[in-house]
Amino acid sequence: MITQFLEASQNKWTKVLIGLAVVLVLCFLINVALGSVTIPFESLIGFITSGSSGQASWDMILSNFRLPKAITAMLVGSALGVSGLQMQTLFRNPLAGPYILGISSGAGLGVAIAIFLGFYLGGFLELSGIGRSWLLVASAGAGSFLVLLIISLAATRLKDSITLLIIGLMFGAAAGALVSILQFFSQAENIQAYVIWSFGSLGSLSWSELYVFIPVILIGLLGSVLLSKPLNTLLLGENYAISLGLNIKKIRLLIIINTAILAGTVTAFCGPIAFFGVALPHLTRMLFNTSNHLLLTPLIILFGSGLMLIFDFIAQLPGMEATLPINAVTALFGAPFVIYILLRKKNLNYAYQS
Amino acid sequence: MSLLETRSLSIGYSQKTAPQKVLQKDVSLSISPGEIISLMGQNGVGKTTFVKTISGLIPKLGGEVYYQNDQLEDLSANDLARRLSIVLTEKPYSHNISVLELIAIGRHPYSNWMGVLRAQDKEAIDWAINETHINYLADKKLYELSDGQLQKVMIARALAQETDLIILDEPAAHLDLYNKIEVMTLLRNIAQKGKGILISTHDMQISTQLSDKLWLFNFNEPVQQGAPEDLILDGTLEKTLYLQDYGYDMIHGSIHIGMPENGTSVALEGPEDVLFWTNQALRRNGIKISQSADTIISCSQREWIVRSSESSQHYTSIGELLTYFG
Repeated sequence: MITQFLEASQNKWTKVLIGLAVVLVLCFLINVALGSVTIPFESLIGFITSGSSGQASWDMILSNFRLPKAITAMLVGSALGVSGLQMQTLFRNPLAGPYILGISSGAGLGVAIAIFLGFYLGGFLELSGIGRSWLLVASAGAGSFLVLLIISLAATRLKDSITLLIIGLMFGAAAGALVSILQFFSQAENIQAYVIWSFGSLGSLSWSELYVFIPVILIGLLGSVLLSKPLNTLLLGENYAISLGLNIKKIRLLIIINTAILAGTVTAFCGPIAFFGVALPHLTRMLFNTSNHLLLTPLIILFGSGLMLIFDFIAQLPGMEATLPINAVTALFGAPFVIYILLRKKNLNYAYQS
Repeated sequence: MSLLETRSLSIGYSQKTAPQKVLQKDVSLSISPGEIISLMGQNGVGKTTFVKTISGLIPKLGGEVYYQNDQLEDLSANDLARRLSIVLTEKPYSHNISVLELIAIGRHPYSNWMGVLRAQDKEAIDWAINETHINYLADKKLYELSDGQLQKVMIARALAQETDLIILDEPAAHLDLYNKIEVMTLLRNIAQKGKGILISTHDMQISTQLSDKLWLFNFNEPVQQGAPEDLILDGTLEKTLYLQDYGYDMIHGSIHIGMPENGTSVALEGPEDVLFWTNQALRRNGIKISQSADTIISCSQREWIVRSSESSQHYTSIGELLTYFG
């Protein structure tokens, strides 16, 4: 009798996941085809299957701009989504997200130091192209890694997860203050460079950066799939999780490292993309009505990738030359969507006890 | 063979700066298959500390804890999760999972890293659901359940964990009488299947009517154990729970809420059920019941007659009767 139930739900979810995957492929094709230059569908298929769309300029656009951006968008969407989910479950807090432990603040501080202090040492603004972007990646990565290190040390000592959350918030505040001090003593061009970094960008990654970005995010996503089962036991509360044989300190550390890898890498390469990581887990739970991590993790990976492709598509509306900052688009279009669904569902019962 | 045995166990807290705070020492207790045992004592006497110590959440201060033949320290977290399951008063953090998903989480110590359920996992879940009679709830979400239903689901989850010993913390808290009786019957049936059940409770019905044994924790005194009836008759229960001042009614197993007596005393006669409730109403109003009193109340199903030397009056309800005494 249970077998019946289980099979029915398994069939249902397999269909949902396959459906989502199909939608994701469509989003990907639309995202790649449309932009300042529209590439016909047949040419696009030709490019994917045989490596040539028939026009050299289209090939160039696709391989150097559209494909890297679409791949980046998918990985960023899924990475921020699953790390947000992990933080929300670990800290039992609906407002938690990938950056709750101060990872983006650490990255921001790293970048600020590179830009503002770099100005005095040799000049950040003089660096161009590849050199400049790798410097940003390295400094943001170093900043978030430092935060990860401190938070992990705290995590092995603390019994209580909520205390950890407060420590993370304090870090964010302190790092933010240091960034303001640096800004205060800097010149306009440097401040502008920093502000532009903080807008976030999906389109700035070259293939040489993607060769690092793709494997790291994929490893992080694999980790999040592996952590789904222990995360499920945390749905019952920490005491129940421990009684089920969960080593809470070890799992907590693994979750933090996993989140830091995902969110830290995204921030290092694309800047701090806010909102998405907090909102996507809620959106997924509401739309698919489940909190089971064994389902939520794959759902968020697929749904997050697709949604980020759509946001990226909006950010660069066809026919327009300029691209809106991705940070603005995710919040501008995401927030009303979340509010609409919340009002329709009346409360947060879908995720938390009322 | 006992499922759990403590030998000269000391429990309490060790602090870095202050000396150890010992709550109980020399605790030697054991629980066998099929037994329901209630752990009782006043707040702060160490019941929760005891439960946390035997479930390995906090270190013991001395002595030994054995699960069958294995020392607690020798068991890995996963091994222990196959010996001991718990039902707490705290509700699950997320209510957006189905009953089936929740019970499946009980298979955590057995399933692989992806949580894929094998045939024996499904059997265990099926058995747990049948045993607790919650088949009709299987595909409901937790937020759709009443408190009583949720409690049965949490017990099913513990059953799915297939442990010989189950510890429950106040299993009937927040439950109405009907659901409480259902949960108690359920626990009785589970015990009959050969499981050991340890309940930490303040509930007199659970401890005295459901349990085979009581473990009574006292401040500065050794732990007392025995059949609930023995501990009631020799006054140990009354002493442990500090009920002397209120008077534990040994015959009915209830506590009298003491009201200062107002000097009036009456004698009572009539059928047992009416007598019992009339008695309770009078005592609540400070009237002493004494068979040698001059005023006599004769009760029958629908009539109360108060006879004194001067008068005789009829009443048709206890509420009316009480007006006689102002």
